Amino acid sequence: MKLESYRRELRGEIRRLARDPVLLGIVGVTFLLLAVFIVFPLIKVVQHSLWPQGTFQPKYFLDFFQKVYYWRPLVNSLIVGLLVSLCATTVAFVFAYGIARTNIRGKGLFRLIAMMPIVSPPFLIALAAILLLGNHGVITDLLRLDWDIYGLSGLVLTETLAYFPIAFMILEGVLSKIDPSIEEAALDMGASKLRTFFTVTLPLAVPGIASAALLVFIRSLEDFGNPMVIQGRFRVLTVAIYHAAVGRYNLPLGATLAIFMLLPTLMIFVVQKYYVARRSYVTVTGKPSGIGLKSTERHVKIPILIAMCLLSGVILLMYGVVLFGSFTRLWGFDNSLTLANYAYVFAAGGQYIWDTLKIALIATPVGGLLSIMIAYLVVRKRFLGRGTMEFVSMLNFAVPGVVVGIGYILAFNTPPVQITGTALIIILVFIFRRMPVGIRDGIAQLQQIDPAIEEASSSLGAGFFRTFTRVTLPLVAPAFLSGLVYIFVRCMTAISAVIFVISAGWQLLTVALLYEVDQANLAAAAAYGYVIIAIVLSAIVLMRFVVGKLFRGRLAPLRGE
Amino acid sequence: MLNRKVLCLSLLLVAGLALAGAAADTLTLYTAFDADQALPYIEAFEASHPDIDVEWVRLSSGEVYTRIQAEAANPQASLWFGGSNTSHIAAAKAGLLEPYKESLAWQYIDPVFKDPDGLWIGLYVGYIGIVSNTEFLTEVGAEAPASWADLLKPEFTGEITLAYAFSSGTAYTTLAGMLTAIGSSDVGFDADDEVYVKAFSDQVGQYNTSGSAAATMVGLGEFGVGMVFSHDIIKKAIAPGYPVVMTFPSEGTSYEIGGMALIKGGPELETAKIFYDWAMSKEAQDLYQEFFRVPLNPEAELAEGLVKASDVNVLPIDLIWYGDNKEAMLDKWSEVTGEY
Repeated sequence: MKLESYRRELRGEIRRLARDPVLLGIVGVTFLLLAVFIVFPLIKVVQHSLWPQGTFQPKYFLDFFQKVYYWRPLVNSLIVGLLVSLCATTVAFVFAYGIARTNIRGKGLFRLIAMMPIVSPPFLIALAAILLLGNHGVITDLLRLDWDIYGLSGLVLTETLAYFPIAFMILEGVLSKIDPSIEEAALDMGASKLRTFFTVTLPLAVPGIASAALLVFIRSLEDFGNPMVIQGRFRVLTVAIYHAAVGRYNLPLGATLAIFMLLPTLMIFVVQKYYVARRSYVTVTGKPSGIGLKSTERHVKIPILIAMCLLSGVILLMYGVVLFGSFTRLWGFDNSLTLANYAYVFAAGGQYIWDTLKIALIATPVGGLLSIMIAYLVVRKRFLGRGTMEFVSMLNFAVPGVVVGIGYILAFNTPPVQITGTALIIILVFIFRRMPVGIRDGIAQLQQIDPAIEEASSSLGAGFFRTFTRVTLPLVAPAFLSGLVYIFVRCMTAISAVIFVISAGWQLLTVALLYEVDQANLAAAAAYGYVIIAIVLSAIVLMRFVVGKLFRGRLAPLRGE
Repeated sequence: MLNRKVLCLSLLLVAGLALAGAAADTLTLYTAFDADQALPYIEAFEASHPDIDVEWVRLSSGEVYTRIQAEAANPQASLWFGGSNTSHIAAAKAGLLEPYKESLAWQYIDPVFKDPDGLWIGLYVGYIGIVSNTEFLTEVGAEAPASWADLLKPEFTGEITLAYAFSSGTAYTTLAGMLTAIGSSDVGFDADDEVYVKAFSDQVGQYNTSGSAAATMVGLGEFGVGMVFSHDIIKKAIAPGYPVVMTFPSEGTSYEIGGMALIKGGPELETAKIFYDWAMSKEAQDLYQEFFRVPLNPEAELAEGLVKASDVNVLPIDLIWYGDNKEAMLDKWSEVTGEY
């Protein structure tokens, strides 16, 4: 009986898809892409770990539990991840609350400062930490401190600063979108502001806090640049995986370590997904709504303002010292100013700048369109395997970069898809690594748009394509644009997955920067950092201008810019 | 039609960039020289060979080896320029290199500095030295360590920096010297070696990926003591004026032959041979003056202040053995130190 109804449903499903060939084609191609570029590399990782020579040999898998130098880095990574997640989400919440829910001045400036770690390679912070707080850093020497930045404390500090902006972007979005009429209702019924905050505002923000904390945890866990620079003897798993796979070319060991990195992130991903999925997002409707409630009480504003100033000061100091460092002749010793470091970057890294730009300019539009399309399919369309599509496309969200990197070299070094050494593999890494964020933003945005708006378009006779491009796309423009900006920025700044797939023909700026830090050429590294920042900032301005024109000025202000 | 506009725009951009990127004859090489040291050579080469465009990647020598191994089925580069020859020897053993006995340089160079089958050739020689920050030494009231035994002193705990033996030729050469100097066996680990290597690793404050980083780190005062090739100590710490002093282990130190090799199946082997011949010429080898390396072309000029074989106690290290047994040595090193 049950089977019968399932069959009937299936038949109806197929009929519906057959009636809509455009949708059918898009769904088919999307599934194929997801299978080849997300699932296949992961299968290869598992295969190389457990079946290294084609036969079942879980040698490294078993070794992992016995050899301290294999499992200790995982424990270290988890410790760092938890601490960073906690610190960064807390800091980000304060920051987001200050900007979204109070009437303090200088919000634009604060937002700009908070975005700085996003528009630069995250491990630029580690470089700044060494310049300021290293054993002979500016602050260390000034205050005669005796502390060791190389290790856990340095990792937590740098990663908190590097990744709180991501949490901030999410939380600001969430806090500013909470429908004020719900809070007003609570206040009208006699609840105090504090009570309203804890019983209405905070619970409404919980899904946002959860996804912010999750994202930061995963980003910290998969962070590669900062630990490479500052881990000291506190070895974390990403660096161990890199050294196993690239340093020693022990791919079975690298793949095994990758599995142990994947397990915790996947677990958290699934838990979070079902937790968040139970909560409704629809707070924005086609109907007009009031402006968000702003806290104006001094006892709320002043502490938040102080915290925000403090954090902003630290960030400015860090970027300032790197900027200054990029102009010094010999950092820490001969601080006379020079342009020599930039001359060196353009001479040694000129080709890298071009390569990176070319790759980013291809990956950005393709990745942006693909992610908004998947988001649309998942939210608005009913078709077989819709849930699977969402899960798979969001999977790379939880898959750490080094795992993706190792998966790509395992999967695409031999036919049928032999693309190692090409620009294509780097582009694909960027697209499929970054799509989940575009999809998530797209889904969140679409869920907040009442389907009635699109239904109106349909009932007036517009087809799928017309409705999608004329109604849906303009409505999700902010998500689409921030998706584009995000992908471009990550193309310019990411390192963890792509370091596995770069080749002589195609080098990236971040990798060049990492090598300069690794060789302790700190001034040259600082100059590389600012070249990247300059490119990213000009691209953001340009992209806003171009897309703004396309939308005929209907563009919502970009959050997280 | 937003997406069509975006698509058109991006296609235009891509087409423009592709046109701009068209080039002449290319040579793809991997270099284990630091980027700032590789650049002058490559610029000099491109200046004298304007028809050849060099694309290069800077990797530590251990990483070059693994990269070539990974790409063996589909080689991406044709030449391996620089890096300790223990990695070249390991690659030769693994069948990853292309012989080039016809080169003029291979004919005249001393047999000690080349592979008998022409699979690699020496570019320069270098000796492992100890670099210490003088401000650090004053602060802790210590003499600069001048022996392998000195390095285990408690005042240096957490203050030593060097690279991982698997990623850096410098660090693997250091390990080979350590194993040769300590204990009674000439090659490999004996019981004394195990004790020493463990104790030494416990002194280390940070392992880097690339070998020469330690020179600058110590110069900056980030760490007190580093183990680096003397030419890198001179170039990266002494010449810039950092407060450092260079010593050599009295029990004897290790040396490297900086090597060069053609990569088997490389896509531009004929062009690579042009670079190879040029790199051994007096013109190119004279450039080592700037970086205080000891050139192997006997006609090349030597830099002032250079460390030569006659200046230090050089151990008779069996580099060929250490090259052949690199994987086993690294596994043993991981077992002993608990580092991976």
